[in-house]
Amino acid sequence: MDAVKVNDFTELTCTNLMIKLKIMLNRLPPGDALAFFATREQVDNTCAPFSTNGYQVAWEEEAENRYMVRIGK
Amino acid sequence: MMASTFLFCEMLSPERVRWCTECITSGVRLHPENQGTIKVFLTGDALFSLVDAQNRDSWNALSALPSLCIIADGDELKLQGMLDSVATGFPGVTITGSGGRDPFWQSLVLTLAKEWNGTRKAAFLLCHSPYMSRIPVYMLRFLSNTHSAGLHPELYTYLDGVHNVHNGQRPSEFENIGRNVSAIAGAAEQSGRDPWFAACSRCATARGYYQMNPGTGFCEPSSCIEDITIRPLKEILSRFSGNHPILSHMCGGIVAGAGIRESTALPRLVIFITNPPYGTEWTFGGLSLALAAAMDGMPTTVIFIEQGVYALCGTHEIPQNDKVFNVQEMIAATTDVPALGYLVHAPSLEERGITVSEQFSKIKKVRNPEISGILWGNDPVNAFSATRMIFF
Repeated sequence: MDAVKVNDFTELTCTNLMIKLKIMLNRLPPGDALAFFATREQVDNTCAPFSTNGYQVAWEEEAENRYMVRIGK
Repeated sequence: MMASTFLFCEMLSPERVRWCTECITSGVRLHPENQGTIKVFLTGDALFSLVDAQNRDSWNALSALPSLCIIADGDELKLQGMLDSVATGFPGVTITGSGGRDPFWQSLVLTLAKEWNGTRKAAFLLCHSPYMSRIPVYMLRFLSNTHSAGLHPELYTYLDGVHNVHNGQRPSEFENIGRNVSAIAGAAEQSGRDPWFAACSRCATARGYYQMNPGTGFCEPSSCIEDITIRPLKEILSRFSGNHPILSHMCGGIVAGAGIRESTALPRLVIFITNPPYGTEWTFGGLSLALAAAMDGMPTTVIFIEQGVYALCGTHEIPQNDKVFNVQEMIAATTDVPALGYLVHAPSLEERGITVSEQFSKIKKVRNPEISGILWGNDPVNAFSATRMIFF
């Protein structure tokens, strides 16, 4: 089985992460989810607010200031 | 009574001179009572446009307006060998003299201090690297005169402007930008002022000045002078909500003017995207800044103009092995940001014989008088809020 590459978005600004997520979520088939690494600041400022727009958002800490985030439709 | 000030430091193409002239002329018609309140400051390569025969009609039309004052940098005209030709050929242009130090920049700072009623600081958004470009020299002149005028100097370095943070600069033939930035910061601190010098963290990371410490998981400055702090763009943009002038290499500002009560509304931002989408970072940088400002609630208008209209043409597809932001996807994904508006300059499209892609058909096409209306129109918002214009 091929390993699924998880994107590392920790170096993106919050603005650019928001744009990237909006683009990726627009393309995402219903039922699928995005998984990526983000920083605490990105989780709070950019990822968590997607939950108010009908998305399921979850994250867990992988390392110091590094979170695995999953956003699904 | 509104007061408008423009600063142009780079080459002005005949196309830009033409549309700017038409916009300013329309703006003056909107407010005929505003005698003497539009000032156009020209320095650096922008001065060559004065002697370019292609621009003669436009400059003559502008200098004939009683409400407009064109101020040319006399020191730069001397450097370029054009002082006599501009002095004799353009009686409508005021040339700053050689009295005092940096008379052009002193005049600009004093103008801004008066127009931005009650301001205590003035800032420069620097997007150019040192030595390859002379813009950082102009930034130093501006901030030095800001300090001399008793104002707090602020510097926001963005895009290639973050190269100015590199420590150990040692040019053999040019002014040492890094050392002089530190000198201004030091002098301001010694005078009890609060210099605020920042570099965009995204741009600094991309260029190697902000590196991850694997031990902490956080980025740290690398090879940076200490007087410039690396900060997220969002933090730099929070300074834009203040009532103070922010200049850049090609910019403008409109304020209510002296005697009018200070606005409580956020200043508005108008970003002109003037470059093709992918050859340089200008388009991505301009859009990123506009989006970040709008998402923080700042009313922001992006106008695709001149070569910038290519961002809206055709359908951009990023090759699989390429890593670049698709600006069309970026625009399409952000049309729902409430404080953000996109416009495209119809004459720029017509001059190039191109049309906007179907997916962007809802982006409004505007002509020069409409841009004037956006900048100087009678909308009650315009009467009391400042507008900052930045060309990317």
